[in-house]
Amino acid sequence: MGMMMDLAAFFDQAWVARLAILKGLGTTVAVSALAICLGTILGVGVGLALTYGARPLRWLTRGYTDFIRGTPVLVLVFASYYVLGTVGLDLPPFEAGVLALTVFCSSHVGEIVRGALQAIPAGQSESAKAIGLTFTQTFAYVLAPQALRQILPAWVNTAAEMVKASTLLSIIGVGELLLRIQELISRTFLSLDFYFFAGVLYFAVNYAIERFGRYVERRSALPT
Amino acid sequence: MKTLLTLAAGLAALTFLSASPADAQQNQSKLDKVLARGRLVMGTGSTNAPWHFKSADDKLQGFDIDMGRIIAKALFNDPDKIDFVIQSSDARIPNITTDKVDITCQFMTVTGERAQQIAFTIPYYREGVGLMLKADSKYADYKALKAAGSAVTISVLQNVYAESMIHAALPDAKVDQYESVDLIYQALSSGRSDAAATDQSSLAWYMAQNPGKYRDAGYGWNPQTYACGVKRGDQDWVNFVNTALHEAMTGVEFDAYAKSFKTWFGKDLPPPAIGFPVEFK
Amino acid sequence: MGNTLNFAAVWRSFDLLLEGLALSLGLAFAGILIGCVIGLIVAFSLTAKAQLWRRPARLYVTIIRNTPILVLILFAYFALPELGLALSKTNSFILTLAIYSGAYLAEVFRAGLAAVPTGLHEAGLAIGLREGQIRNSVILPLMLRNVLPSLGSTFISLFKDTSLAAAIAIPELTFEARKINVESFRVVETWIVTCLLYVATCAALAALIRYAERRLAIPR
Repeated sequence: MGMMMDLAAFFDQAWVARLAILKGLGTTVAVSALAICLGTILGVGVGLALTYGARPLRWLTRGYTDFIRGTPVLVLVFASYYVLGTVGLDLPPFEAGVLALTVFCSSHVGEIVRGALQAIPAGQSESAKAIGLTFTQTFAYVLAPQALRQILPAWVNTAAEMVKASTLLSIIGVGELLLRIQELISRTFLSLDFYFFAGVLYFAVNYAIERFGRYVERRSALPT
Repeated sequence: MKTLLTLAAGLAALTFLSASPADAQQNQSKLDKVLARGRLVMGTGSTNAPWHFKSADDKLQGFDIDMGRIIAKALFNDPDKIDFVIQSSDARIPNITTDKVDITCQFMTVTGERAQQIAFTIPYYREGVGLMLKADSKYADYKALKAAGSAVTISVLQNVYAESMIHAALPDAKVDQYESVDLIYQALSSGRSDAAATDQSSLAWYMAQNPGKYRDAGYGWNPQTYACGVKRGDQDWVNFVNTALHEAMTGVEFDAYAKSFKTWFGKDLPPPAIGFPVEFK
Repeated sequence: MGNTLNFAAVWRSFDLLLEGLALSLGLAFAGILIGCVIGLIVAFSLTAKAQLWRRPARLYVTIIRNTPILVLILFAYFALPELGLALSKTNSFILTLAIYSGAYLAEVFRAGLAAVPTGLHEAGLAIGLREGQIRNSVILPLMLRNVLPSLGSTFISLFKDTSLAAAIAIPELTFEARKINVESFRVVETWIVTCLLYVATCAALAALIRYAERRLAIPR
């Protein structure tokens, strides 16, 4: 009897707060999408630098990725929010959070791109050279398509990681879904119901991304 | 010709000496900066009723919020000229020291350690721990609880000092520690505990939300002072905020303060006595 | 705010940072130990013949892998007590780490198990070993060598995730860093040192794992 009343109260409160929940979802999607897009662009650059760059560039980029990957995302978020202010770049929470997630995403994407490009047998570029293709042509028609097959599933995985990492922005006050849920709990005292609800929502988003990833994997696989 | 040149040199020297703009910026009080900006930036939380939390239609509200509005009104004669920066509890002091906010009102307890890092304003609330009974409880009040000795179970928030805090008021009571405030209330309503012990303001809010179901045992202890925090080293700014808060508690803005007090804590405040200033009693 | 870096405040409290780091490592270690047990059980369930084992195992893995760890931490700490399971801060965090890593380790172990040649199982049966003995003395040791790299990187990941314990006020490294920030305003210096501590520890852990891989490798 107690549980049933609780559920009714939960649904009632969730409906009353539907606008806040939707706004939270919107912010989560915005943060994740921005971080994924900007992080991918930056990450492709990082990956290319790691594969084809001159020694000093590779060394610098390797330092960058090792540093970022050795640091917890939460520490990156704090550093972005507080440290940048002292060198003149005082960012509000949303921008600081997106910057931290972008940098985090770029280090992962960089590794993925590098791994995929380096996995292509050297013979491919040699044959391309033999038949007279320039480097740009080789890259566009030979290397990139093959690399993409390996990059796509890992990239989709990284995208899901970004959605999960967006929850950390609640700690610096960005109004994404988790903070909104915590605000609801503080008003309604229904912690079990709402934390569970938050889990369900995040699971739904990430599961959709996972299914999309498997679809992409199937479509891009070489016919066997 | 010579006189003209000397005059020109003199004027130039005067303008140079009177104030270099960069210096003026550095020594400008936050009060002037805020007035120039036209809006107050206040740091606060969003997950603690009745201090700072979101209403059903997603508006930030609470006693801390109202304090911010009182200060905004004192600045701009408009309580809406305020922007809130949501921050977690442990960002209260960092956001002040890194200038992300002009002031923080977020049920901050005044302690010596914190006073070394920020400047506290005058207090705007004195918090204490209280005991809440069910309306139909067999214990009439605090005396009855104390008299019952070890037959009484108290539900309280998990804390290193929870046991000693309860035993300071009820030396023989059994203590059940829970993870969050809503669990304390659940323990009380289900009968697992005879009284719930937590901040008096939280109790007052909960009783106001659930009229007729609970009552206060009538005993408060463990006093703590809540004050707003501003950056150290700015006497003009802290004086201004103190003036604004002071007039809210004793002077022209008393009605706003009393209204807020009634909304969030359910208590009527007696107006300050006319004549001899109440603060020197 | 001065533009010159001043690490004095950080050095004064460096021992607190190191204590926090030790706690982080301890939490990660406890988490992965229990996580390994969970992961092994789930890995065997995933490859079991009976649906009764496979279905719940797959459900567990899918749900945990698609839920943000912060949500799991807050759920375990604030919501579980309502269901009757009220653990201390540290225990609830370790439990969360275990359940979280268990889901990822299950996949790691499953891949490791698949890489063990099936012929070994039959050979074991042929020389008269029981199922349990085959599993413990033949399959598992080989699988362990296969999974060591992935196990290592999962541990390093888990170690970084301990920074989230700061959200429920456990005094690990990130929490101590925030405390120092609050006391000294030296945010740049504190976060630089904290970052370096994490990066250095991750590098040391990675080197340790590579060393273990070399030592345990089957000589070719």
